[in-house]
Amino acid sequence: MRENIYAPSLAIIKKVRDEAEGVKTFTLEFKDLAIRKAFDYRPGQFGEVTIFGTGEAPISITSSPVNKGYLELCVAEVGRVTRALHLKQEGEVIGVRGPYGNGFPFNEVEGKDILFVAGGIGLAPLRSLINQMFTERGKFGKLSILYGARYPGLLCFKDDLKRWAGLENSQVLLTVDVADDSWQGNIGVVGSLLAKIEVNLENTVAFVCGPPIMIHFVILDLLKMGFKEDRIITTMERRMECGLGKCGHCNIGVKYVCQDGPVFSYQELRELGENV
Amino acid sequence: MKKVLTTCEFCGCGCNFYLGVEDNKVVAVYPCASHPVNQGRLCIKGWQGHDYIHSPERLTTPLIKQGDTFREASWEEAYRLIADRLRGIKEKYGSDSIAVFSSAKCTNEENYLLQKFARAVIGTNNVDHCARLCHASTIVGLMATFGSGAMTNSINEIGNAEVIFVIGSNTTEQHPLIASQIIKAVKGGSKLIVADPRKIQLARFASIHLSHKVGTDVALINGMLNVIISEGLLDKDFIENRTEDFDKLKEEVAKFTPQKSSQITGVPAEQIVEAARVFAKSRKSTIIYAMGITQHTTGVDNVMSCANLAMVTGNIGRESTGVDPLRGQNNVQGACDMGALPNVFPGYQAVTNDELRQNFERGWGVKLPSQPGLTTIEAVDKGLEGELKALYIMGENIMLSDPDVNHVEQALNSLDFLVVQDIFLTETARLADVVLPGVSFAEKDGTFTSTERRVQRVRRAIDPIGMSKPDCKVITELSSYLGYEMDYASPGEIMDEIARLTPIYGGISYSRLEDKGLQWPCPSPDHPGTSYLHKGQFSRAGGRGKFYAIPYRPPAELPDSNYPFALTTGRVGFHWHTGTMTRKDWVLDREYPRGYVEVNAQDATKLGIRNGMMVKVASRRGEISLQAKVVDTIQAGLLFIPFHFAEAAANKLTGANLDPVAKIPEYKVCAVKLERD
Amino acid sequence: MKTLDKTELSKFLEGLRADFRVITPLQEGEDLLFGEFDSSKLAVNFTGRPIIPPKEYLFPQQERLFTFTAEEGDRVEVKAYLNEEKQVIWGIRPCDLCGIKTLDSIFLSNYVDTYYQARRENTILMGLNCNQACETGFCNSLQTGPFAKDSFDLIFTDLANRYLVEVGSKAGEAMIARRANLFTEASDEDKGEANRLEEKSKQGFKPLFDMKGVDNKLAQAWDDRLWAEESDSCILCGGCNFVCPTCHCFNIEDIKAGRESERVRCWDSCQLGGFTQMAAENTRQTQGERLRQRIYHKFSYTPAKYDGAIGCSGCGRCIEVCPSNIDITHILERVIKR
Repeated sequence: MRENIYAPSLAIIKKVRDEAEGVKTFTLEFKDLAIRKAFDYRPGQFGEVTIFGTGEAPISITSSPVNKGYLELCVAEVGRVTRALHLKQEGEVIGVRGPYGNGFPFNEVEGKDILFVAGGIGLAPLRSLINQMFTERGKFGKLSILYGARYPGLLCFKDDLKRWAGLENSQVLLTVDVADDSWQGNIGVVGSLLAKIEVNLENTVAFVCGPPIMIHFVILDLLKMGFKEDRIITTMERRMECGLGKCGHCNIGVKYVCQDGPVFSYQELRELGENV
Repeated sequence: MKKVLTTCEFCGCGCNFYLGVEDNKVVAVYPCASHPVNQGRLCIKGWQGHDYIHSPERLTTPLIKQGDTFREASWEEAYRLIADRLRGIKEKYGSDSIAVFSSAKCTNEENYLLQKFARAVIGTNNVDHCARLCHASTIVGLMATFGSGAMTNSINEIGNAEVIFVIGSNTTEQHPLIASQIIKAVKGGSKLIVADPRKIQLARFASIHLSHKVGTDVALINGMLNVIISEGLLDKDFIENRTEDFDKLKEEVAKFTPQKSSQITGVPAEQIVEAARVFAKSRKSTIIYAMGITQHTTGVDNVMSCANLAMVTGNIGRESTGVDPLRGQNNVQGACDMGALPNVFPGYQAVTNDELRQNFERGWGVKLPSQPGLTTIEAVDKGLEGELKALYIMGENIMLSDPDVNHVEQALNSLDFLVVQDIFLTETARLADVVLPGVSFAEKDGTFTSTERRVQRVRRAIDPIGMSKPDCKVITELSSYLGYEMDYASPGEIMDEIARLTPIYGGISYSRLEDKGLQWPCPSPDHPGTSYLHKGQFSRAGGRGKFYAIPYRPPAELPDSNYPFALTTGRVGFHWHTGTMTRKDWVLDREYPRGYVEVNAQDATKLGIRNGMMVKVASRRGEISLQAKVVDTIQAGLLFIPFHFAEAAANKLTGANLDPVAKIPEYKVCAVKLERD
Repeated sequence: MKTLDKTELSKFLEGLRADFRVITPLQEGEDLLFGEFDSSKLAVNFTGRPIIPPKEYLFPQQERLFTFTAEEGDRVEVKAYLNEEKQVIWGIRPCDLCGIKTLDSIFLSNYVDTYYQARRENTILMGLNCNQACETGFCNSLQTGPFAKDSFDLIFTDLANRYLVEVGSKAGEAMIARRANLFTEASDEDKGEANRLEEKSKQGFKPLFDMKGVDNKLAQAWDDRLWAEESDSCILCGGCNFVCPTCHCFNIEDIKAGRESERVRCWDSCQLGGFTQMAAENTRQTQGERLRQRIYHKFSYTPAKYDGAIGCSGCGRCIEVCPSNIDITHILERVIKR
C-alpha cells in the first residue's frame, strides 16, 4: 500500500481563540488516535492545512512539541483558505498534513543566549521555539524576547508574553508603532528595542520573524550591532503549495523554501541568490 | 483518451487544438501543429482556459423565476411558458415589440437559426448581437469604402508585410497569435508603427509609437494623409484606376498639416511625418485596427480614415497589404455573416431589398419583415421607454458589456418578459423570467468564422452537462412550440441551407471543412476560398473604392472641471470580456483576481494615490471602487479600466454615446473623476 | 541485441495490448500526437516528435488527486485516485527519454511523489532513435541525443526495413521474451549500420556553441540585461513549460460541488506572473526575472540539486511553441559568449 504523501489527515477544531485583530489561534486534535500520538515536529515547521471545499494553505505551527496530543495554529486572514478557516467553529473538521520545513536550530544553539525579535503574527512560529526552550531551560542562557506590532490590537499571545516576563533569566520588551489610549509601554518600531538591552555578542544567536520589511530593517540593526551573519536566523516567505519540494513555486536557486527552509540564517539567505 | 480537433472558443484568431477527453471530461489540450494560423502555438487561454466547462456553477436545467429566485423546471414547461408569453406579446403589441440578441460566441448555425427565428417566427427584424458594441463601425465603414466589411487580408500575410501600422489594437493581449505574426515580421526586419494612447507591449517593438490622445484618430490619420499627398508619396495609378472621390479627400486633409494634427492629437509633428513616410514608401504596408478605432462616436469616421490611408498608398488588393479589423469574439465575424443584424439577412443582403428578401421568403416559407429593426442599444432604450416588451438573449451578458449598465438594469427590469439562454447564471440571466441552459463549444458541433473569414469546424468532444442542450436544439425546439418547424438532422444540414441562401458561403459544406476550413467568399463548391479581398477590383458596386472626406469631430464626452480625467476601457490577455468563463479558471484568475484602474504616476502622486490603494472612480452615470495600479505607460489625464470584473464594472461609468450610423457606444472615451477611497 | 522486421512492429505492439495500455506516436491528419496504439494511425517514417511530450503519461496535464466528501458530523471521506494501469510507451525520442529520467530524479526523490510513482512503476519505455535532426532540436549540443545511451527499457533504431532493438533493462528483456519469435539476433552489420546512422544524424544538426561550462557562465550572467531583452516579447502563454519534457511545476486546486470537493493538480508555468504571487507581494515581478528562473532552473539548479540530472534535453519544443519566437539556444548563446 503506497503512503500517499499528499493525503491530509483529519483534525477536529477543539478550540478557537481570537488572538488579535484578524488573527485567530486554533487548537486541533487529529481524529486518528495513532496519528495524534505519533505526530511530532520541530519548532519552526509548518503544516499544509486543508479547508475541505476551499483549498490548502501552509500554516506554521505555534504549539511546541512538548505539548503532546494537540496542535496549535495561529492564522491571519489574508486569502481564500485562511478566510474559510476563520469561519470554522469548534467541532468542525479540517485536514492537516505535515510537518514540513526544516524547523529552527535547537540543539545547535545549546549554551547560547537567545535573542528573539518578532513583529505581529511573526511571533507565532517563534512561540513554538520559545516555549520549547523554556521547557528545556537548562540548555540555554538568557532568553530575551523583543516584540512589537503596528498597534496594540495586533499584539498576539499576550498571556505567554506575561508568563515569559516572569520567568528566570528572561526578559520581555514590547512596543507598538502607533499607540492607543490604553497603551503605557514603548512606542516605536521593534528594532528600537534593541537599544534597550544588553547583548553578549560572543554568545548570542538572534531569531527574527515578522513582516518582510520588518525583518529587513531588524537584520540591518543586528548587523550594525555586530552580529555575525550566521548568528541571525530568520524565516523566509514564498508562495508554497505542495510543501514537498515538487510543485516548484517556492524554488529559489537549488533550494525549496518548503524543504530547505523556511528557516534560514542570514548568511544562507545571502547565498541563495534572487532578491531576498 | 479521445482527442477531438476543434476551434478555440475565445478570440477571433481561430486557433485549432485537440481537446483531450477522458470519462466525458475535458482534461487536456494539444495545440494543432499543422494549423496555418497558430502552427502549434496557443495563448494561455487556449492552453488552460477551459476549466469553466466543468464548473459546478454550470446551468444544468431550465430555470423559471419565482418571486426573487429561480426554480428548476423541465424543458417542456420552459418552452411552453416562453411560447405562450411571446405569442401573447406579439398578438397584443406586434412583432416589433420583441427583440432578439444573438451570440458572437455561438456557432454560425446557431446564429443563423436565431435570426431565422426572429424573422420567420416572431416576424421582426429586431435581431442584433454584440458586434454592435465592437465592430459595427467596421461593417458600416468598410462597406461604404470597399464594399465589404471584413478583414481584407489573411493573418499569415501579416508576417510578410514590410510595414505594419497598428492603431487601436492591444494585439499581444487581445489577438496573441496575430501579434505573433507582427513580432515575427519585426524580428525579420519589418517596420512597426503603433498608435495607442497607452504604451502597450506591442509598442515596445515599434519603431514609431504614436501616443495620440483618445478619440483623435481621424486627426492623426488625416495628418498622415496630408503628408503623403503633399510629399507626392501617393499611388497615383491606383487612385485613378481603382477609386473615386479622391479630390474630396484631398481638399479635407489639406487642412490637417502635421502641425495642426499635432495640436489635436498631442503627437509631435515630426513623428506624424515620419509615420506617414514609412507607411507610404512601402508596397507592402498593412493596417491593423481594433476597438481603439471602432468604439467611438466617430467609429465609422475612424474606420473610413483607415480605408482612405490604404487606398491613397495603393496598399490594398494585394498580399500582405490591406485593412485588417481584428474581430474579437471567436464567432463575431460569423454572427454578422449569418445576418444576426437588424438591417441584413445572412450574407449582408439588405432586408429592404425586395428581390433578396423574396429569396429568403421562398427559402423559409413565410413572409418576412422589410424594415430594418432595432440595434442592441436602441432596443435597450425602447425597453425602458416601454415600447419594447420582450427580449430573448442568447449568450450575451449585456449587464456587464453594454455601456451605462445602471441604465441597462433599469431597462431589463422594465420589460414584460426576458429570456436568457446561457451556460452560467450571468448578471444578465439573473434578471430573466426564464433561463435556458445552453452548452459550451466542447459540447456541440458547428462552425465558427474567424477574423480572417475562415469558416472552421467546431467539434463536439463531450456530452452536454446535466440537462443542457446544444443551442441549435433549443432554438429549433422552441420554434416548434411556436408553430414553425425547423427540422435538421444535423448542424451540417443547417450549413447546407445557409450555403443555398448566402452567396459568400455558397461553396461551404462540412465535407469541405474537414481540413483547414475555408475563407469566404467561397461562392461555389469548387471554389478554394479567398485569402485576400479586392484583388483587381473592390467589392463595391462599380468595382471602385470610395474615398470619404472625414472632418475631425471630438469625442462626445470630454473631461471638464467636474470630471477631469478621460477614461478609456479595454481588456487584458488573461480574461475574456465579462469574465463569465475566465474568472472561473484557476490560472487566469490567479493572474488577475480583481479589477483595477491604471493611473499615470504623476497623476497618482498629485492625488496621494499609491500602487495598490483602493480608489473611487465616478462618472455622471455611476461609481466604482477598485485598486489603483500606478504605471508610467499611460498618458497623464487618462485612466484605463478593463471591463472584465463585475464588482468593479467599468461599464457603470461609460455612457451610451453612439456613433450616429453604426450605433456603437463610445467605450473608449468618457469623463470621470478619481479620488482615494 | 535483436532486430525486428518493420512489418512485425504492429504485431508486436498489438500483442502487448493483452496486458498493457500501449501508447505510440500517431498520425492524426497532418499532426503527430501520442495516443492509444492504432495500427491504422501508427506514425511510421516520421521525423521529430509529438508536440506534447510523453511526460503526460506519468504526470498528466490534469490529474485528480482526491475527492473529499463531507459526511455526517465531523466525518470526511478522503478518497485517493492512483493510476496503476500497466502501460507501454513506444516511440519515445532520446530527448524525451532524458526528460523522463530527470522527472524520475525530481518526483522519486526526497518525498516520493505517490501519483507519479504509481504510474512510473507500471510503465515500460521503448525509445526510438532519431535518424534525422528535427527542425528545432539541439540535443546533439547537450549530448542528450539524437541517439539514446540509457534510460530506456528498449530502444529501437530504424534501419530502413527493420529495427535494431537494444535492451536497457530486465523489463525490456521481458518484453522481447513475450514475442521472442518476432525477433532475430542482430548482426555486426546491423550494429554498424546503426552507428553509421547515428553519425549521419549528428551531422544533420545545425552546429551550435560549446555548452561546456555553461553553469559557470550562468553564475556570472545573473544581472545581465539579456534577461529583460530576451523576455520583452513574451506574451505569457506558458507554452514553453507545458511542452518541456523536464518541466514539472504544478498547481493544486480544490473544486467544490455540493458536499464533495475534488482536488486536482494541473501543469503550471513559472513564466506566469501569478506563479510567485503571495497575499501581499510577488517575489518575481518582471518577465526578465521569470525567464531567468526558467533558464537557471534548467541549466544550473536542476543539475546541482539532483546530482547532475539534465534540466534541458534539447528537444527544441519551446522554440516551436513560442508565439514570439523566443529561442532558448539564442539565449544560451548570449550567456556563453558574454
